[in-house]
Amino acid sequence: MIGFLIQRVLQAVMVMIAMSVIVFLGVYAIGNPIDVMIDPASSQALREALIQRYGLDRSLIEQYFVFMNNMLHGDLGESFIYRLPVISLIWSRFPATLELALTAMMIATCLGIPLGLWAGYKPDSWSAKAIMAFSVLGFSVPTFWIGLLLIMTFAVELGWLPSGGRGPVSNILGLNLSIGSLEGWSYIILPAFNLALFKLGLLIRLTRAGTTEVMSSDYVRFARAQGLSEGKVVGLHVLKNISIPIVTVFGLELGSTLAFAVVTETVFNWPGMGKLIIDSITVLDRPVMVAYLILVVFLFVIINLVVDLVYGQLDPRIRVKAAS
Amino acid sequence: MSAPVETRWGRLANFWADFRQNPVAVAALIVIVAVVLMAIFAPLVAPQDPYNQKALDLFDARLPPGEVGSGGYVHWLGTDAAGRDLFSAILYGLRTSLIIGMMAGAFALVLGATVGLIAAYHGGRIEALIMRVIDLQLSLPAILLALVLVALLGQGLPQLVAALVAAQYAYFARTTHGAASAERRKDYIEAALSTPLPARKVLFRHLLPNALPPLIVVATVQVANSIALEATLSFLGLGLPLTQPSLGSLISNGFQFLLSGRYWISIYPGIALMLTVVAINLVGDQVRHVLNPRRSR
Amino acid sequence: MKLNFKLGGALAAALLLGTALGGAVSAQTLTMGVRAGPDSIDPHWSTLGSQAETLRHVFDTLVMADENLQMKPGLATSWKPVDDTTWEFKIRQGVKFHDGSELTAEDVKFSIDRIPVVTGPMSMTIYTKQVKETKVVDKYTLHVITKAPAPTLPNDFIRLFVVSKSIGMEARNEQFNSGKAAIGTGPYKFVSWEPKGDFVVERFDGYWGGKQPWAKVIRKEIPNDPARMAALKSGQVDIVNYVPATDYAAMQKDKSVDTFVADTVYYFNLSPNVKETLPKPVKVDGKEITANPLRDPRVREALDVAIDRKTLVRVVLEGLGRPANQLMPLNFFGSSKNLPERAFDVAKAKKLLADAGYPNGFEIDFHCTNNRLPGDGAMCEALSQMWARAGLKVNANALNGTVFFPAQQKGEFSLWMSGWGTLTGEASYTYGSLVHTADPSVGLGAFNKQGYSNPEVDKLLQEGSRTMDDPKRRGLFEKAVEISMNDRALIPTVQLQTVWAAKKGAITFAPRVDQETLAYEMKPKS
Repeated sequence: MIGFLIQRVLQAVMVMIAMSVIVFLGVYAIGNPIDVMIDPASSQALREALIQRYGLDRSLIEQYFVFMNNMLHGDLGESFIYRLPVISLIWSRFPATLELALTAMMIATCLGIPLGLWAGYKPDSWSAKAIMAFSVLGFSVPTFWIGLLLIMTFAVELGWLPSGGRGPVSNILGLNLSIGSLEGWSYIILPAFNLALFKLGLLIRLTRAGTTEVMSSDYVRFARAQGLSEGKVVGLHVLKNISIPIVTVFGLELGSTLAFAVVTETVFNWPGMGKLIIDSITVLDRPVMVAYLILVVFLFVIINLVVDLVYGQLDPRIRVKAAS
Repeated sequence: MSAPVETRWGRLANFWADFRQNPVAVAALIVIVAVVLMAIFAPLVAPQDPYNQKALDLFDARLPPGEVGSGGYVHWLGTDAAGRDLFSAILYGLRTSLIIGMMAGAFALVLGATVGLIAAYHGGRIEALIMRVIDLQLSLPAILLALVLVALLGQGLPQLVAALVAAQYAYFARTTHGAASAERRKDYIEAALSTPLPARKVLFRHLLPNALPPLIVVATVQVANSIALEATLSFLGLGLPLTQPSLGSLISNGFQFLLSGRYWISIYPGIALMLTVVAINLVGDQVRHVLNPRRSR
Repeated sequence: MKLNFKLGGALAAALLLGTALGGAVSAQTLTMGVRAGPDSIDPHWSTLGSQAETLRHVFDTLVMADENLQMKPGLATSWKPVDDTTWEFKIRQGVKFHDGSELTAEDVKFSIDRIPVVTGPMSMTIYTKQVKETKVVDKYTLHVITKAPAPTLPNDFIRLFVVSKSIGMEARNEQFNSGKAAIGTGPYKFVSWEPKGDFVVERFDGYWGGKQPWAKVIRKEIPNDPARMAALKSGQVDIVNYVPATDYAAMQKDKSVDTFVADTVYYFNLSPNVKETLPKPVKVDGKEITANPLRDPRVREALDVAIDRKTLVRVVLEGLGRPANQLMPLNFFGSSKNLPERAFDVAKAKKLLADAGYPNGFEIDFHCTNNRLPGDGAMCEALSQMWARAGLKVNANALNGTVFFPAQQKGEFSLWMSGWGTLTGEASYTYGSLVHTADPSVGLGAFNKQGYSNPEVDKLLQEGSRTMDDPKRRGLFEKAVEISMNDRALIPTVQLQTVWAAKKGAITFAPRVDQETLAYEMKPKS
């Protein structure tokens, strides 16, 4: 087990290094941020001073090592535009994105699992087919388009909910969250639902697939033969058996929801990390772009690692295979 | 259900027999065929060539659906801010979107399949390394990658396609690798590899064909995804110029009018986009269902 | 279902409560929905318009500008040239900083000296580049010595924000953003801000200009146009800026909003690249030719007369603009009253092209932005339509600013349209940058990417920039304007108008040509 652990951790570190090189080179090799940022009327001297201060006059490799060295000391650089530490910029946006992603996941789960169960339980019914068609809508229609329709309907036509932005925040568990008040909820509900749709589609399909498989298995037949009520069959056996893969995917999807919020945050003007990265891209604020991408990669490496380790714990075969 | 006929046509007939079990998928297929035909024959169907600046008249700008413009015909879906007939613009936009989707899908398929095959063929450390990177890339949102790439490469059709390919090839790589590596472990491949037969023959004769069915499914879905991604990029202001309208640029162009009562400039292209993307996905879904070897009958 | 109903009811109640509270507070609080905000609370960090606009609430400038961009006293009560290279500024007496200390000439000197120390990407040094040194004569008198005669120095100082000397030279963005160094003399005290978020200030009771009507001002940054309009309609904000033309048309029928229209300093100009060869050769009958047709004045005139400016205003801008015949409003220093209105004549355009040797026209690329100024993308298309009628084939490309500006800087365009605003209210700023030969050694022509070069214009502009005598300088600039406009160094198309919209009966103010949305110029209506 220790060997497996070390192997996986080493692998994760290797991947991090590889990805940092790719991200860094990718973002730094192309395009000159100075042309976008600088006032074109500035003097040549100022231009050069800036290039020097941002370290853009050094070779790419040198820039990379400076960057890596700083990163190992917990310093991801300074934003060109705001001249603030990137880490604090991103961190100040984190609570907004986190609450949006969590609310979206909650919506997806609360709707997705019952719908998926039903669709798997009565696969041939008319309602099950409708649910499945809905799930296809959920993950194929572009998020921004649904977001626009939601704003059109609920904010403009009906006037029930705000069209965008974030409600008043209060300090909850050390984070500045807006879901502490009802007014905050009125702001979050539309973007969260918008963000949830994709996951909702996915979750319905997963749950349905798991349910159909379990329903046709021997122990469900056995349980039914024993005279257990349908409610207990579904509640005890089916739910229990499909929960493990769903929880795993949920864990993985939380990460991607955090990252996917980019579009939703733009449509709803939600002041989260996704909005920050879009704004940074339009002004080519490289340090923010690089730091954001590296943090996302880091997040996924960690999640993958944890999933691997948990699986390794649960299923010894994976360990054997990995070692071979 | 159907008799095991082993000829190529027989297999196709079987496939169709299974496919048409689902009326929704059949309807979706009809939509796709209609959309593709309309896109191909756009110059014949559309009352106006939206690319031809001379055919446009500013005096026709923002006419609501059903009005007659200076061309003397009815603008069934209205006109946009440049006086462009929206029905025509949507047909040509479909064309652009489909071309982008298929080009991105095709290039991503070739690139992804190659990478996946290389990984499966070599095995060992190379395989582990390639697949780890692929896995990670998969976990990065495609929209984010495409966004960064378009911002850096610049705007234009080739850049857009390049960004879409880079964002999507990983799906093909993983699919190919999955199917091919399962096959790779079988004895006959091991045997073939130990003969002096050139490696590429093994790759293309045995590993690739096994990866094809799932690849087809992924390709269908990815074409739809590319179209949706392009639309999203356009919405964020990084798509194609308006004089080459794709569905995405039409929608984002009309977005500014959405809240002021001129809904048609954005809504109709949006509906066309939605129909296309959902239809492709529904068909892809049914194809996956039919091709799935484990499916219960 | 019952639960849902309850939740819905609670939500509705909360919303009602929210609006009720909002209504009660709004007599004292002004909430503005603006398109863009600052990058920092340091007023010397960036020349960005939205930066200055925001920080004017907290910091005052030495010279101020009225709503027509004409100079008026600010922290300086008067200024005059002592000799050819010395300006004397009299500093206003009895002005208090937000920390209670008094403003002196030392603070102004410190502010001028500080600007080169703050090297941001949009450095303010372009406003102090003429300054050689500053001398404090007495507590309320400052001498600014310039490198050469600098008649436009007071215009530059419209952007000279004065900070307190007590913050020290080392103060950086963090100290400003946290509020520690955000000590100004302005009408409002800084409360809080975060990048792209809300900017909050509260009334400063010791303000030299008198007490403000608003106890608290919140500037909400809402870059997306429809979202900003929706925020007004749903009552989240009291006033919004940059109302798109399409919404303006709808709002005029809406009884719940007031609208304010103003001419702006922003013009859409066409830049024809007149260098020896074009970055991408034009095509005649499908074949590339090496010559650059835009060097022929007849071709530039053809481009000009093919434009129907009235239709551009009426259709593309939905009425929110005026046909333009030069690059600045008529009342600005140096604008020419002798220039005629630009004609629209397609037949003439065709004839001019034929005379120039292009009876069948040619094919050329045309670039614009699509996200910088209202209507830029639509203008791009409309112009290519008009040129198509004159027989040209124009490939219009409306690009995102991120892509457009670097390419423009690198000279990759043949023909392009860009917006320009004369923010200093006088000619040397605009014509010196746009039509003077690009020459870093004299610091002029920085934006002249089209390669226009006319020694006569250069001479007039250079002489003007050295002439301290106002009427004489005005004459020199007018001459330069006339020549360059008749040469079609740039082709002006339209002047933009801008619209604000506010809750019905809530606010009065005089709209500004520089489009700045300033709380201290607004008053509650009742």
